[in-house]
Order: sequence, then C-alpha cells, then structure tokens
Amino acid sequence: MVNLLVATHAVIGILAIFAFLLVFVELLDSKEKTAKRVKAFALIGTILIFVSWIVGGYYYVTYYGPDVKPLIKEGASPWIHSVVMETKEHVFLFLPFLAILATGMIFSSNAELLKNHKTKLAVLMLCALIILIGLAITGMGFLISTGARYVGAG
Amino acid sequence: MKLNIKSLNYSTILTIWLIVVLTILGELSNSFKTFLTASTGHHWVSKGMFSLIFFVVVYFMISKSVKDRADSPNWAINAIIATILAGIIIFGFYLWHFTP
Repeated sequence: MVNLLVATHAVIGILAIFAFLLVFVELLDSKEKTAKRVKAFALIGTILIFVSWIVGGYYYVTYYGPDVKPLIKEGASPWIHSVVMETKEHVFLFLPFLAILATGMIFSSNAELLKNHKTKLAVLMLCALIILIGLAITGMGFLISTGARYVGAG
Repeated sequence: MKLNIKSLNYSTILTIWLIVVLTILGELSNSFKTFLTASTGHHWVSKGMFSLIFFVVVYFMISKSVKDRADSPNWAINAIIATILAGIIIFGFYLWHFTP
C-alpha cells in the first residue's frame, strides 16, 4: 500500500511533467490546428499536478511523517529529510500555481498565443520552469526513497 | 474562458512569496507552527490550503481593480524570477537551518 502510494505519486508527477513538455514542444511550432492540443495538454498537466499533490500529501502526512522521517533523521544521512525533503515539499507548492498561470495564459490568449511572439515566449518559459522544477523534485524524490530504503523504511 | 492575466500573474507572485514566508516562519516560530498544525491537523497541509485560498482571493480582489492589457503576459517573467528566487531562498534556508 505504502509503495503503491509513492509509485502513484511519482508516476502522476512524471506524467504532469510530460504533459507540460508536450505543451512546450507543440508551442515551438504552433499552428492553428495545434492550439487545441496545447490547451488539452496544459489542462491535463495542471489536473495531474493537483492529483499528485493530493496523493503525495496523503502519503506524506499518513506514512512518511510518522514512520519514515524519524528513521531518516536518526540515520547516517539526516540531511536527506532536513534539507532535501523539506525543500521538496515546499518548492512543490509552487507548481500548482505556476500550472494554473500557464494554463490560464494559454486559454485566455487564444490566437494571440500564435501571433504574439512575447506571449508565446512567456508561456514557453513558464512551461520550461514547470518542467525543470518537476525534474528537480523527481530527483529529490528518488534521493528520499533511496534514503528511506537505506534505513529500512522503504 | 477569459481570465485577467495580469491579476493571475500578481496572485501567483504573491502566493509564491506567501509560501516562502509560511515556510520560514513555521520553522523559526514554534507558536506559528502550532497554529498551522492546529488549523488542519498538519502544518504542510495548512500551508497548501492557505496558499490556495490566498491565491483565489487575491486573484478576484486584484482583477476587480486591475485592467488586463496587451503587455500582461510579460508579467510572467516576473513570476518566473520570483519562483527561482523563492526556490533558492527555501533551499538556502534549510541548508542553513540544518548546518550545525
């Protein structure tokens, strides 16, 4: 059950990153016919970020905090929780709002997104930031899972 | 769906900074962390809930007074800079907080 929750949280998070990667790629060579796909991928990515937030949050509050955190903090590498996990859980909170901003801009700009170079560049940069933060968080999650297994909690 | 992009950018930037303040204050003040924990049962859940409510309230408040303009998407650059700075501050804070 615990491993299933961690895996679900991670897979949904990776799918969210992938959705914003698709938005980025579609926008690079955007045409009238790709506009619908850009909107769909942005909306899917935002929903997945919220689902990942709920699943990851449930695991964090129910299992990680009471069972895993004390073992990591008492182990040989307490920085895995004190620095990596603390940074991950708080920086993650930026993602839902950045995703809403990017998706809101995509839905509101419509044809402007294809014509206006500055609008397109702003959305591209937002997507790139979401992807980079997502990848950094995935890496931190891998480090935390490794730390948990090392202390016998994974 | 037509949103006020300038307000959306403002509310994103302010919410990012609210998360930084809640995070750091929660670590430095025991009474504030107790308040966060008492609000929802877990301090991290409270930070998320407060941020979400704050984001929605600030968006609607600002969109009433700020008109959307053609240059509004440029404000996303400010949201990007705020996010990068906020991320560095949170990582730096925990690094400093952990170092004996």
